Amino acid sequence: MAQPPVEDIAVSRDWASARLFSAIVNSSDDAIVGESLDGMITSWNPAAEGMYGYAAAEIIGRPAAVLCALCGEGEGQETLARIGRGEHVPHYETYRRRKDGTDFPASVTVSPIRDEAGRLIGASTITRDVTEQVHARTAAEVVHRADDLRRANGSLESFTYSVSHDLRAPLRAMSGFSTALLEEYGDVLGEDGRGYAGRIVVASEHMAALIDNLLRLSRLSRTEMQLDPVDLGAEAAQIAAELQDEDPGRRTRFTIQRPVQVQADRALMRMVLHNLLGNAWKFTSGRDDALIEFGTAAADDAPVCYYVRDNGAGFDPAYTHKLFSPFQRLHPASEFPGTGIGLAIVRLIVERHGGRVWAEGAVGAGAAFYFTLAEEKST
Amino acid sequence: MTSRPILLVEDNPDDVALTLRALKKNNILNPINVASDGAEALTFLFDGDDTQAREPGLILLDLKLPKVDGLEVLRRIKAGKRTSLIPVVILTSSKLEEDILSGYRNGANAYVRKPVNFAEFAEAIKTLGLFWLLLNEPVPE
Repeated sequence: MAQPPVEDIAVSRDWASARLFSAIVNSSDDAIVGESLDGMITSWNPAAEGMYGYAAAEIIGRPAAVLCALCGEGEGQETLARIGRGEHVPHYETYRRRKDGTDFPASVTVSPIRDEAGRLIGASTITRDVTEQVHARTAAEVVHRADDLRRANGSLESFTYSVSHDLRAPLRAMSGFSTALLEEYGDVLGEDGRGYAGRIVVASEHMAALIDNLLRLSRLSRTEMQLDPVDLGAEAAQIAAELQDEDPGRRTRFTIQRPVQVQADRALMRMVLHNLLGNAWKFTSGRDDALIEFGTAAADDAPVCYYVRDNGAGFDPAYTHKLFSPFQRLHPASEFPGTGIGLAIVRLIVERHGGRVWAEGAVGAGAAFYFTLAEEKST
Repeated sequence: MTSRPILLVEDNPDDVALTLRALKKNNILNPINVASDGAEALTFLFDGDDTQAREPGLILLDLKLPKVDGLEVLRRIKAGKRTSLIPVVILTSSKLEEDILSGYRNGANAYVRKPVNFAEFAEAIKTLGLFWLLLNEPVPE
């Protein structure tokens, strides 16, 4: 009796299981791609066609690297090296490139393929498009961040409230009762005593002004900006006229370049110019030949910069770095009044416009303040 | 008419003392009732014996109050049939836009931020007293 050849049974069993495997591969929703050891594509299932946009006939025999969005960054080589050592590469997330050049996020698993003798002959890559999962994850993250931000703003809001309400009440008591002492017991206090009580009144008012300025600064950093075309020259001229109106007896010359067209938030830029021109006005108050200039100049890191320059009291350049910090003052209040918030406001506004601000000066030789803006449309 | 009492709703005893002093200095001699929190103000306005003598001619109302806050007191005053026409001036430290807006939305007749400087504070109290108790013609009884 002739026995059926053993090989034939094995072959038919192999054939049946190969058909089964092929059916599994073809019906999979994941792209299953085989490649040779030199990185050429050897098999391509229908899901791969749907995912990447290539038909099997046009992609088989081409390098698998065309599917790889990050292969330029070393992803392919490393995977290939691990496969070369016979390792399985468990699923990792990366980006894959479609035929039309667009990329999509993908979860990828790579396994070595061996022949019957156990020799490494290639790799199979299973790829799943995870666009939707990534979107869901990103959306969750955005919601999470927005929550964080809302919480932070909420606590800032209640902090602002406490500052404006709770800190002012004791100051009002200090000012109020010192005034009461002065008015009702002034003769008992004597001249020195009245002087001390007077100082409490002045100091509490000064602190109230500091608190108000701090609140303004905090509000400024949160208000939304509205960018419009603004002529900085026209704004500067208007502020100069206001300054002269307030003190018509002063002889001060203004030189203002016009027009100086920019794209910026008008109210905030007015605040910048008001602070810089106001400072120039204040620090030239001792001079008969006071000169205050506004104009544009060349800058290293921007097409143009804007400046306000004066020939007033100036400042010691050793302290330039302190100028723009809140409540820093380089002059005694008795000489030039102020709370030291103006230049901090200037810096905040300029930085919110994507620019920077700096100063040059020397004691007795005037000061110049420069700023740039990111939105540049100078004429 | 001008001797109708003033209701001062204020939890800070310093501010109470300063307000009383400012009223006195400006010769505003109306009787003054002080409620030191929102609940006390509501009890005074709604649970007392129902006589005209207690009805304030003016309410000076702080916003940040213990127990029942100023805005809630304001809402209840403006919702009360008997109390809705009493002028309420919010007198507070806050100048937050939200506070000012919700003050007016809830029917405040005026909103004044307490100045830190006593001279300015006294001036504000004087102006308020003169306007609401003397110049302004109240709702007929």
